[in-house]
Amino acid sequence: MITNRREAWTGRLLLGLLMAVTVVPFVSLFVTALHPKGTYPSGLSWPDDPQWGNFADAFRAASMGELLLSSSLIVLGVVPAALVFGTMAGFAFGHLRVPGHRIGFLVFLLGLTLPFEGIITPLYYQVRDMGLLNSRWAIILPLIGLFMPFSVVWMRAHFVTMPDDLSEAARIDGAGTWQLFWRVHVPLAMPALSSLGILLFLWTWNHFLLAIVLVDDPAKRTMAGALGAFQGQWGTDIPLLCAGALLILVPTLAVFLIFQRRFVAALLQGSIKG
Amino acid sequence: MAHGSIRRPLRAALTVSLFAGLAACSAPGSDTPSEGANASAAPVTAATCGTQPVTLRGYFETGFPLPKNLADEFSRQFPNVKWDIREDQFAVITQNAPRVLADDPPDLMRLPQVSELVKDGVLKNLDGYARAFGWDKWPASQLEQMRVSPTGARGDGPLWAMGLNFSMTGIFYNKKLATQIGMTKPPTSLAELDAVLQKAKDAGLTPINQFNGGATGGLAFPLQNLMSAYGEPGAINDWIFQKPGASIDTPANLQAAQHLERWIKAGYFASDINSQDYATMMSRFIGGKNLFIFDGDWESGNLDKQMAGNVGFFLMPSAQAGGKQAAMSAPLTYGISSKAKNADCAAFFLNWVATNQQARDIAVKVGGSHPMGPSDAYMPPVAENTVTAATLAAGATIGKDNGAMDFIANATGAIYAKSWTPQLQKLVAGQQTPDGLLKSVQKDYESQVKD
Amino acid sequence: MPAPIAGRRTRRPRAGWLGWLFAAPAVIMYATFVLRPLSLTVQYSLYDWNGIGPSRWVGLDNYRRLLTDSELFSSILHAFELILFFSLIPVLLGLFVAATIRGIAQSRLATVARTVLFLPQVIPLVAAGIMWSWLLSSTGVVNEVLSAVGLGGLTRAWLGDLGTALPAVGVIGAWVLVGLCTLLLLAGMSKIDPGLYEAARLDGAGPVREFFSITLPSLRQEIGVCVTVTVIAALASFDIVYIATQGGPGNATMVPGLEIYYLAFSEREIGMASALAVALVVLVLACVLPLQRLTRDGSR
Repeated sequence: MITNRREAWTGRLLLGLLMAVTVVPFVSLFVTALHPKGTYPSGLSWPDDPQWGNFADAFRAASMGELLLSSSLIVLGVVPAALVFGTMAGFAFGHLRVPGHRIGFLVFLLGLTLPFEGIITPLYYQVRDMGLLNSRWAIILPLIGLFMPFSVVWMRAHFVTMPDDLSEAARIDGAGTWQLFWRVHVPLAMPALSSLGILLFLWTWNHFLLAIVLVDDPAKRTMAGALGAFQGQWGTDIPLLCAGALLILVPTLAVFLIFQRRFVAALLQGSIKG
Repeated sequence: MAHGSIRRPLRAALTVSLFAGLAACSAPGSDTPSEGANASAAPVTAATCGTQPVTLRGYFETGFPLPKNLADEFSRQFPNVKWDIREDQFAVITQNAPRVLADDPPDLMRLPQVSELVKDGVLKNLDGYARAFGWDKWPASQLEQMRVSPTGARGDGPLWAMGLNFSMTGIFYNKKLATQIGMTKPPTSLAELDAVLQKAKDAGLTPINQFNGGATGGLAFPLQNLMSAYGEPGAINDWIFQKPGASIDTPANLQAAQHLERWIKAGYFASDINSQDYATMMSRFIGGKNLFIFDGDWESGNLDKQMAGNVGFFLMPSAQAGGKQAAMSAPLTYGISSKAKNADCAAFFLNWVATNQQARDIAVKVGGSHPMGPSDAYMPPVAENTVTAATLAAGATIGKDNGAMDFIANATGAIYAKSWTPQLQKLVAGQQTPDGLLKSVQKDYESQVKD
Repeated sequence: MPAPIAGRRTRRPRAGWLGWLFAAPAVIMYATFVLRPLSLTVQYSLYDWNGIGPSRWVGLDNYRRLLTDSELFSSILHAFELILFFSLIPVLLGLFVAATIRGIAQSRLATVARTVLFLPQVIPLVAAGIMWSWLLSSTGVVNEVLSAVGLGGLTRAWLGDLGTALPAVGVIGAWVLVGLCTLLLLAGMSKIDPGLYEAARLDGAGPVREFFSITLPSLRQEIGVCVTVTVIAALASFDIVYIATQGGPGNATMVPGLEIYYLAFSEREIGMASALAVALVVLVLACVLPLQRLTRDGSR
């Protein structure tokens, strides 16, 4: 590739600038969190006496342990189920090509564009009538439904690339459809599955709307929903709010940094298919 | 998304969704009126919390320690009672109230304006308790804001809620800054107040910080104060209580709104009030950044602690020196859901708050406001020179001048969020005129009251 | 993107209608928690209902009000204004940055950048809202920077000013989305045959002509994806506005998502909220479907 030095340097400069703009909000949040509680610090000033204790206080005030547990339970409720259902339907539409698979698939495809606000009102009454209001099920079950379009489209895209010969061979060996699916195709779908899993984890963990509408108790919400409640309760104390917000970010940031390669790949593919 | 050819299956998909649409065609909502609606109160002989373990479900307002402190003291005196308390900011409570009371009923809940909740039948009629506990023998003014007649007007009729105390609003000032600009005693007329504001401005101080950002139109405080300086509190109450024919768009109120606009244009408010929330206002005032805030005595205890000796309070002066004074004064309203499991115990708690000596101590020391209850009930001693003492004394003045008003933000359930807040924010930005402000609020009010 | 259903094969695995058993769980969940509420939204939109008492059939009245009530209608206009910030800026900026750093795409700096630029995608939008309300406040970093470079006259409470609140919300969205767009476009550029650029250089093409005659046409599909994702994010915005401004000041930042929430859960006008919800769903489809055609035609 031909590039001259000047271009490379403009590139570096620009990239550095963009990264700075991306990072500054995090830095601002961090330094603000270190100011004495109840003060109203200005801008990006490093406090004279950094209050590291704010993080401990915010951890206690937000009962962070409980929140982590709650979000984890919701993720455990949503992600495996959505993965299994999405994979099975993707298999049916993409590989088995059941009669009417195009229509079925299209109905899911149109769901990809659906804004959650479009169904939140009836969903509230439906969940209430099911007696699930204020329980984690109120978030888990609708989220599985709402993630179906993406999961099905994603997994179908994987299964249409699988050669039919593979299945023919398995059938000749006497495998039923279920064995074909479970023994042959699921192991081959692992890369697609794990990327989907990462995306679903992230979207569940960060989901806000259902949490604030359907669950009043922050201890039964997702992390993002709990953060909204935290702002409601501690918005009166800016440094504490910032400390709490940072703590709530830590789990996703940690998971992201550990699995960053997979994450970036999954997110890029995810938006292409979404 | 670009998968396959779209047109042919699209038609089929539309057919499918049409069927899905037909799947549910009965009209939403029940046709039977909910049971609580306008039900008369069952006679109550003795409401107590019993001796069995009870867990009272409370829904309180964030940032105000009073109800929690009362709940703790109550559990100390009645160990069989435990609490399950949830908190939210008042704006959120206002939004959630009807749904929560109907779908997830708490035993005791901080309430916004009650008239619509009564109409929906989600509140318990407290008349039975009032008779049993003798609340009906207290000064009538304490309870009238929580009475709603069958026609929907507030002010008389059955009792639907109860106060933990009743609060008083006015102007808090920073004593050090006041001395600095030569304000040695509170202004006694509107003209004097204007002069003080100008002096503060000239001295390079921020005269007033007031929350007015996001969903919080705090400029309603000074506006209503100005309304009562120019006009009669009775007329304002009629509007708030939804008396037939009442209007907010009156000549006196127009003068008040114009006066507020002059304050804005003169730069008496901080330039960023449209993004100030309540917490920002408080932390700036406590930090000595400005002279005045318009606020209520629920902050008295807090201010006496954080600005000890440096904070004063006065009621909005009348237009002419020596005139009658008025102030927003409202009970800290708590109600019981019509579906509450432990209504008797919750009512017993409300009575205890008004009559128990320790509870009344807490109401004053923590809440800063006057407790509910009979006029000859025990009053805790308050140190002189505190702002708590000043606000309690102001209560007496208002009583004498018959100047208690409910809050214009309480006229209907949606009037604050939907009308006052955006209109006042536009007034600050110079995109609304005083006249347009009142006309627009009145229009929204009429459409909401009609429903 | 793979091109599915390229050509039907004659020998397909025979599962027949029984194969629908595999799709059944997904179909049931989707029908129960998405399709049913969606059709109920359409139904509710034809009623006047406060969510508690009985309802009243009003036909298309709610839709009529949507078109005549300036407050409701302006929320839709605001959503379109947000497209400028959520879509146009990230895509343009992303194109510019990606084209400039194409040459150093393999450097260590670019690897670090990949991680850093993704951070806004990983955190909840609520957190982005909290951070930026703080940055954009009257004493925040944005004003500090402006003062430092001699633009002190411009400082203001950005989210509290009727004129700047909506653009300020837009900036938050742009911050969230610009990294994603940059990386998507960069990934697309890495697939372009370097030989094309070399040939262009030999022909004496400068970076500008190179960009317009090679880069832009090859990225048609990636650009389409960026625009689709960001337009949906703009039209359906909720989290950021809910946290940063609650629709204020003076309704300047009211968007359909938030208005639906207020109408349904605070003003209890379920019918009106549902009509707006239907309008929002239709608007999103109307904006997004043509985009698909555009990118598809380009990629085939």
